[in-house]
Amino acid sequence: MTGERTVTDGIASELRLPAQASELAAAREYAHEAAAAFGLDDDRCYEFAFAVNEAVTNAIRHGRPDEHGDIHLSVRADADRLTFAVRDCGTFAASTFDRVTSSERGRGFALMARLMDAVQLCAAPGSTTVRLSKLACESQLSAGLGV
Amino acid sequence: MSEDAGAGKRDHSALEERMGFFYIGEEAAPDGEDVAVVVAAGEIDFAASPQLKERIAEHVDAGRRRLLLDLSTVTFIDSTAIGVLMGAEMRVRELDGGWLALVCGDENRRVLRILEIAGIDSLIDVHRSREEGLSALAAAG
Repeated sequence: MTGERTVTDGIASELRLPAQASELAAAREYAHEAAAAFGLDDDRCYEFAFAVNEAVTNAIRHGRPDEHGDIHLSVRADADRLTFAVRDCGTFAASTFDRVTSSERGRGFALMARLMDAVQLCAAPGSTTVRLSKLACESQLSAGLGV
Repeated sequence: MSEDAGAGKRDHSALEERMGFFYIGEEAAPDGEDVAVVVAAGEIDFAASPQLKERIAEHVDAGRRRLLLDLSTVTFIDSTAIGVLMGAEMRVRELDGGWLALVCGDENRRVLRILEIAGIDSLIDVHRSREEGLSALAAAG
């Protein structure tokens, strides 16, 4: 793992990864481990790893890293859901997205949407964030998320 | 585990656990000079999918129109790999007698699920065993 990981208060962590394809395995490992730490079963952890991998791939291919060359990953748990965020410093252009919905990028988004309960794209000048959420089931609410 | 363990011919079982491991190689094709059996293992992500694409292109360029691609020991497949598979299917389809057969065993339900939700199984010939895939290739020739 070449990225820098920080744990703030036990319910959220952040990872900065160099915007390189060789770092995708580290992104998947981060997602899988963080999801497992919140008590998700192996299938759900895999789904998060898949979706985070797609979002980071998009950030590497189409986005822009920060001044250190990094993409930002984070995870947070709310009462009803676990959410991963993948942020880059690019400015997302909706007009280009329209043209690529049948392309690999569009396919990546479609796959993310199939595996997540919610996929949210937040676009601002110089900041593009994809949020990937799964709703927690009752047992995970009490056991894994500690709420 | 030594870093050059990947040089071992087919001893990749232990390496599959290693982060970001990807392997691609050929196995003996049973009949015909236009047949190739390609075996991939490990994780096919954006770092690895260009290698898969290149390898498939090499076979097609060398006149091997009937390809079997065995994904049974692939543990991860992303949208860029799906794109490579779709591109390969389109390429061999243009060739007279061209055929692409994917193999992914029932036990590999994670990769099968991704192929399914990506709609690959309706576009490409997917088989559950090597034998089944080879029969389809033989019939295509």
